[in-house]
Amino acid sequence: MEVINTLMETVMSNQVSIPLIEPMLDLLPEIPMLQYMVAFMLWKPLFAILICPGLTVGGITLLFFPWIERKLCGRAQWRVGPHEIVWWLGGVIQILADTLRFLFQEVIVHKDAHRPYFLQFPFLSFMIFLLPLLFIPAGTIVAIQTPYAIQIILALVCLFPLFILGLGWASNSRFAYIGTVREAFVYFAYEIPFIIAAIAMIILYGTSDPLLMASRQSIPGIILNPIAALVFFIGAAMATSRMPFEIAESDQELCAGPHVEYSGIAFGLIYVLCYEKAYILSALMTILFLGGGSGPAIAGLGDLSGVFWFVVKTYLVLTTLFMLRTVYPRYRLDQGLKLGWSPMLCLALIGLAISLVVVAVRVI
Amino acid sequence: MKSMKKVVGPEYNLGEKIKTNVYAVGVAMQESVYPHTATVFYPRERKKMPDNFRGFILFDPDKCISCFNCSFVCPANAIRMKEAPNKRYYPTVDYGRCIFCHFCIDSCSGGALKATKIHDVAYKDMDEMFTPTEEMIELPEIIREDKKYVEYEIEEDDLHLKRTKGEDYLFVDVPPPIQIPMVSQCIDRASCIGCRVCEEMCESGAISSSAENGMLRMKIDTDKCTGCGLCVKECSMQILKLERK
Amino acid sequence: MEETEKDRNIRILHSGVFTPLRRWATKWSLWPCHFLTSCCGVELAHTGACGYDMERLGTLNMGISRQTNFIMVEGTITRKMARALRIVWEQMPDPKFVNVIGACGQRGGIFWNSYNITRPSDIVPVDFFVPGCPITPESLLRGVRAVQEKIEGRDNTTIRFKHVELPSGDGEENRAPTTPKIFAPTPLVRVDVPRDVDWAFGNDLVKNLKAQLKGLYTSITITDKNRIAIKTTPENLVETSRKLSDTMGVDHVKNVNVIDVPHERKFMVEYMVSGYTEELMPVILTIFTEIGREAEPEIPSLTSLWESANYSERELHDFFGVQFKGNEGMKGKFLLAPDTPDTPLRKDFKLEEEQYTIEDGVPLTSAITPPHYMPPSSSLSYSESELEDLKMPAYEDVLKEAEKNDEFVAFIGPHHSGSGHLRWVMRMKGDIIKDVIPDPGYVHRSMEKIAENRLYIQNVPLTERPNITDPINMNLGYVRAIENALGIEVPERAKYIRTIMAELSRIGAFFYDMGIFPLFMGHSTGFMYSFAIREMVLELMVRMTGSRCTPSFIIPGGIRRDISDDVLDRTRKFTTAIHKRLKKYENIFVYNPVLISRMKEVGVLTREEAIRCGIVGPFLRASGVEYDVRKAEPYEVYDKLDWEATTGDAGDCLGRIFGRLEEMKQSVKIVRQAVDAVQEMPRDGVISEEILGDYKEASGDIRGYLYNVYGDLVLPKGEWTSVTEAARGTVLYSIISDGESNVPYRVRIITPCWMNLRGIIEASKGERVADFWTVYASFGYFPPEADR
Ligand code: SF4
Ligand code: SF4
Ligand code: SF4
Repeated sequence: MEVINTLMETVMSNQVSIPLIEPMLDLLPEIPMLQYMVAFMLWKPLFAILICPGLTVGGITLLFFPWIERKLCGRAQWRVGPHEIVWWLGGVIQILADTLRFLFQEVIVHKDAHRPYFLQFPFLSFMIFLLPLLFIPAGTIVAIQTPYAIQIILALVCLFPLFILGLGWASNSRFAYIGTVREAFVYFAYEIPFIIAAIAMIILYGTSDPLLMASRQSIPGIILNPIAALVFFIGAAMATSRMPFEIAESDQELCAGPHVEYSGIAFGLIYVLCYEKAYILSALMTILFLGGGSGPAIAGLGDLSGVFWFVVKTYLVLTTLFMLRTVYPRYRLDQGLKLGWSPMLCLALIGLAISLVVVAVRVI
Repeated sequence: MKSMKKVVGPEYNLGEKIKTNVYAVGVAMQESVYPHTATVFYPRERKKMPDNFRGFILFDPDKCISCFNCSFVCPANAIRMKEAPNKRYYPTVDYGRCIFCHFCIDSCSGGALKATKIHDVAYKDMDEMFTPTEEMIELPEIIREDKKYVEYEIEEDDLHLKRTKGEDYLFVDVPPPIQIPMVSQCIDRASCIGCRVCEEMCESGAISSSAENGMLRMKIDTDKCTGCGLCVKECSMQILKLERK
Repeated sequence: MEETEKDRNIRILHSGVFTPLRRWATKWSLWPCHFLTSCCGVELAHTGACGYDMERLGTLNMGISRQTNFIMVEGTITRKMARALRIVWEQMPDPKFVNVIGACGQRGGIFWNSYNITRPSDIVPVDFFVPGCPITPESLLRGVRAVQEKIEGRDNTTIRFKHVELPSGDGEENRAPTTPKIFAPTPLVRVDVPRDVDWAFGNDLVKNLKAQLKGLYTSITITDKNRIAIKTTPENLVETSRKLSDTMGVDHVKNVNVIDVPHERKFMVEYMVSGYTEELMPVILTIFTEIGREAEPEIPSLTSLWESANYSERELHDFFGVQFKGNEGMKGKFLLAPDTPDTPLRKDFKLEEEQYTIEDGVPLTSAITPPHYMPPSSSLSYSESELEDLKMPAYEDVLKEAEKNDEFVAFIGPHHSGSGHLRWVMRMKGDIIKDVIPDPGYVHRSMEKIAENRLYIQNVPLTERPNITDPINMNLGYVRAIENALGIEVPERAKYIRTIMAELSRIGAFFYDMGIFPLFMGHSTGFMYSFAIREMVLELMVRMTGSRCTPSFIIPGGIRRDISDDVLDRTRKFTTAIHKRLKKYENIFVYNPVLISRMKEVGVLTREEAIRCGIVGPFLRASGVEYDVRKAEPYEVYDKLDWEATTGDAGDCLGRIFGRLEEMKQSVKIVRQAVDAVQEMPRDGVISEEILGDYKEASGDIRGYLYNVYGDLVLPKGEWTSVTEAARGTVLYSIISDGESNVPYRVRIITPCWMNLRGIIEASKGERVADFWTVYASFGYFPPEADR
């Protein structure tokens, strides 16, 4: 009993407060057990994992964002994108159909592949790619709150390419090989400026706790340090292989590079990986530059107001990231590398300098 | 040559680089807000094809003089003639070969072959693609899901899709081609060897033979002759010629 | 009963607990694998682009076979491609579906008796057949719908014919005619039939030549204006050529040709050469010689002198078995597949004959001998030898050599989202391309052999099939050769309309290439915009001719029918709309700084290199050679209109693209002027009365009399060569007639892409790997055109 009580106390002390549904919650004690379940659900860490930014919003993003991307690109390209499947809704469940189709399709493991790794890597990377979500706060809701959250997220993000390399290596195919090598190159090109840009912001805010960061952004970071924001954005585009930098996976050159041999649900997972990556980096960008979940409070939503603003901002970044596809063709590998190593590195350093200046000015 | 124009590719400085970037992004943004969509929503609507569109082929046995022109001219050998119960040869079309050039229609002086605007068809089986004469006479039915038809129109110097409710018609009845009366003539009677090939060939019974002084004499009835030219093609001595009536 | 492969896919879908879900998901997620096999792929691109937007139906074109579940076989599957088709199909995960679109993949379409095609339905199980040549986007989508229905369990043909009994009655028994074709039994084949022409420069030139080539030639004849035939002996061939090259400035080969004359037991070998100097530009010198007709006749190669002859010599080696001594590619086959019949263009190799009547029991499908590649009956039961048979050639020697030099080899194509219908073996060191070895012939459909078995008029649709993105110009070349031979003057109105159509066709081809180029650059918006504009051009085409891509509208003596004023009005209006949309396209793609940085100084060909490789057309002009057939040897009404040809001197991808862009704008200018001129003209016939003969009334519209007028067309004896400026360069037709048959004795087609192949390879050597696609696309390469 003792244990349960302490547990309940911790749970109750850290609840997501939503004024709008409070009357409903008041009714709950009548029903046994449900009360506890709801309490657990509203316990902030669990809420973060299960609802936002975790599984639910993440899942929705993965299911609908490709659709939004395809629709928007279609619009900008004088066409319509997915449409006939439930046409009165404009084909919203297109991605569901695609995913299910992949799920039910045969998974081929070709003779030359390293069978265990070939099959493990898609699942492994899918899991690993979810980890940073634990540290990303949506408004005030976060699963694990630590003062080193940004560093941990960055470290995890930098793990991603390793898994892509694994995918390519296990495929043992010529195109996968070239793609993997390119991925490795690009990784080195963007990583340093990308991290410097993040560090610039950490210095600027004087903290690396995302919750604190949000509260210190009375002026959003993107205005305080636009250069770092630009570098971070380009870095994110490179990290997620978005259009001008879709160098490793370039479809017309390497047939999607590391993914060329995957089929069925294994490919389905890889297909959403890229969206997962983009989601996490956009969330990070939201926290670092756009003030996280801050925004005018919406009456009745309570803590959810922060969640709302967080999701809106993240989607905005995501959309911008994806709309790059309609505007730019692809860079060549050496151009991408050059861009990463010279202008971007310089800009990142300038960004760092700006941060230092801003901090200094504030101190004075 | 003097009048050639030299074309040089652009060279960008930083300012132009930024400008062109802005333009590119600008177009994308503008189009995603006010798109100039140019999509025809087939199968729910269909593009209206002009009346001279080259689609599936119809056939009218009453007008056919069995001249074989359609079969001879078909570049894909898709038209082959089949003997009908009345002993005449009528065309059949193999859509597994037809390339829709409509040379056959342009060669049919009687106007027995006609074009339709049917073109969106999928066959389950390759054998079904062969269409015997009997099935070419009436307009076939196709699956249609279209409720509107679309036309490309230019308004204010830009392309617009004009949508109209209703089903587009699929068959245009064009008048038969102008008649140029031709008739088969023998240009060198003396060389005739009386093999009677022409008589056997003639679909309209215009050529008859009679024995004269122990020799076969061929006679062409100019009124009956349709000018199809079959006899001309087959004459063993190549002494027949099509001439104007 | 054994379950067929076709049923298996449906059974997989209809088994298990989640059947409804499976069916639903598969139905709405049919991803076609981007298996471009032939020209029908053009219409597939249109269906995918904004005009029809295939993605609406959940049908997203995807380049990689492992991730797709649907193949649309786009037209011809050649013997070489057959294995690739099977491999791609085997690579796809179950359940998978196959549609065959285009007549070529069914009973052969216009290539029904070609020696190099196969039937896809023998190679993979096919679900639906979509007729057309090419199919229209609508019918392609109908095919997709049919597959969707099939997944739902309704497996039906989408057309229902009504059966009407034919009139019965007892007519007389008639004989069916045999064949309209006349083949002279012992034709007299001459390529140097003299012709009286008013050509002062030619007479001087002949004098000059005679002086220069003293003792080397047998005869020198003027065969036509701007055409001179030089006869020599095999021993003197190289010396003659060297003299020409050294003293006359002859610097490139336009055509290499072999003519088989079995009854005289000889081969004639001819080289058509010319020089890019001001006065030599329009002139074609034909150097020809005769060699004995043995199994492996030999002739010295001219490759060392003029590299532009290289690939053509290798091709002719495949066709006739002639050994060009000195050319390195004389081992093995270049264009043909291993199981193609040997030396198919020799006259003793006969194609299947047409049948004009049909009887019960006679198969509809033409026989393919020797049999083409056939896979085992089930994909689950490959034996070792069958697996071995399925493999594509691996280029062992290249691999070995690469390994020695520490290089990496990638095999690109024929199924690759960036290869087109072609295979490239790329050797690279790090990110630098060391060498690219082309393996063409995946769409070789034996155009030349077929053409010498058909009536002259039947070859009109045939000649546009190599390049349905630019059909009018392809047609125009062939028709002009015939008109020139017969000495026919085309009515003025027809000339103007032909010019309008030729330029529209050029615009169309430009936008095709400029649609594929963005794709190679990963810029899908560029593809969409450019195909939207192309859709407008096709709309004009369909209104003028009744067909989107394959008009077959230009016939000897004129055009099939006159064009209405409404369509002309539309044409003018569309040109303004094209400009408006082009602006957006330029802003988002052409002037995009990323693109400019990708093109600048990439794939440079200097003037000398360009001429040496023999590249033609806008790409040659981009390297600084001022040769445009429309200016050098004006045809139709190009000399009466106000326009400028373009050149450049950078010779890089940027120059090529911008040169063509400017050229396209000039084309729009030409179209406008010509439309204005046509509207002023009286409607007094568009077909020359000389050719119509008795059928003068048909001069406004050939309907009804096409066969009567053209069926018995016979060309005078001799060789008739025409050069035409098609969208991608000079297309050359050379028709050899014996003066008696109503079919050509030999037709030689040299398409611009075939000549440009060498240029692509030279330009991409030493560049970075990703640049290969920039170079490739900047040449606007269209493999069916190259392979013919
Ligand atoms: S061309 Fe016309 S009239 Fe002659 S056989 Fe054919 S259908 Fe009959
Ligand atoms: S349209 Fe052309 S291919 Fe088709 S049947 Fe007629 S002539 Fe033959
Ligand atoms: S010739 Fe070309 S367009 Fe015609 S069916 Fe064959 S592939 Fe398609």
